[in-house]
Amino acid sequence: MAESSNLRAWLVRLAVLAAGLLVLAGAGLMHALGQLSTGMTVFAQYAGVVGIVWGLNGFFFRRLPLRIWPPTLPIFSAAIFGVLFLLGFFVKEVVGPFAIDSAGRFIGLVHLVDLIFYAFAVMTIAGAAGCAFSQNIIYSAWSLLFAFLGVAGLYIFLGADFPAVAQVLIYVGGILVLILFAIMLTKQIGEDPKLTNAHLALPVGGALAAATVGTLSYMAVMAPWRIVSAPSYQPVTAALGIAFLTEYLLPFEVASVVLLAALVGAVVIARKEIKETSDQPI
Amino acid sequence: MTSIGLPHFLIVGAALFSLGMVTVVTRRNAVGILMGVELILNAANVNFIAFNHYVEGPGKVTGQVFSIFVIVLAAAEAAIGLAIVLAIYQTFKTIDVQETDLLSH
Repeated sequence: MAESSNLRAWLVRLAVLAAGLLVLAGAGLMHALGQLSTGMTVFAQYAGVVGIVWGLNGFFFRRLPLRIWPPTLPIFSAAIFGVLFLLGFFVKEVVGPFAIDSAGRFIGLVHLVDLIFYAFAVMTIAGAAGCAFSQNIIYSAWSLLFAFLGVAGLYIFLGADFPAVAQVLIYVGGILVLILFAIMLTKQIGEDPKLTNAHLALPVGGALAAATVGTLSYMAVMAPWRIVSAPSYQPVTAALGIAFLTEYLLPFEVASVVLLAALVGAVVIARKEIKETSDQPI
Repeated sequence: MTSIGLPHFLIVGAALFSLGMVTVVTRRNAVGILMGVELILNAANVNFIAFNHYVEGPGKVTGQVFSIFVIVLAAAEAAIGLAIVLAIYQTFKTIDVQETDLLSH
């Protein structure tokens, strides 16, 4: 009995909420099209807000004693209506023009392609930094996910479609899953998550990272690279396959043998040893 | 015309390499050390493909071939490394690399 009446009240609240949203949006639209006078718009939108507040009161803040009399519901709705109106006015008159203006200036300065590159670069470096400096090994593994995905994006930027897909498939789909399995198999989660040199990691690691990246970046910028005039963005998968089966045939076969040996070796190393000295026959 | 060039990618690769090296040096968890090795291999791959794109020129794929080999070897290294980590865990009941010092006594 109580279940069904609860359900019915819930449905009524939902219907009133939807109707309030419809009235609110419809009145705004009609006012924008010039079909409705300002006073009527304000009244209709106030009615919509009342409906929305009454409907939401059933879901989220159902403790509030919102009633018609004493008039808590109209007053509360009026307060929310005023706040929404002020917010809308602020967004429309102040933030909107400012945002559009500054976005126009910004896009004039920076190309969209550059923005995408910087997004991928920041994602990569932030993921790597999270992997390096996070205290919890699980968080490290998840930051590694972002580093791998960012590197895949950089590959696409460099016109290397096949390595990008291989990166996502092998690193994200294979190696990262393997790492997560190893973490879960080797430690009880929550027992001692801080297996890192806590007193050493941040200062020494930060200094080491700054020194290395400074030196390598100086060399990368200053060296006189022989840049080609027009880098191409053609698909490379066919060329890669031809290269693997003609020029790099021997390394290709050696790599497959290495993979086979590595996987067999991993199975041999990771399995449990069978005790041959057990004296009780089973 | 974009203003992104070869040095941008080399700097990203340098940052990846240094962060991976920091991970290898500062972690005491063996799995964490393997994650640092993966970061270093990724940095090398970024450099390979960047040089292939900007220096070697269109129509040539030598750098990408090497990056595929690096990915293959990274997969093999991860499988072997994690198997060794599991074996160490079965023996010592820990993967703190400062406590697995059987050979140094």
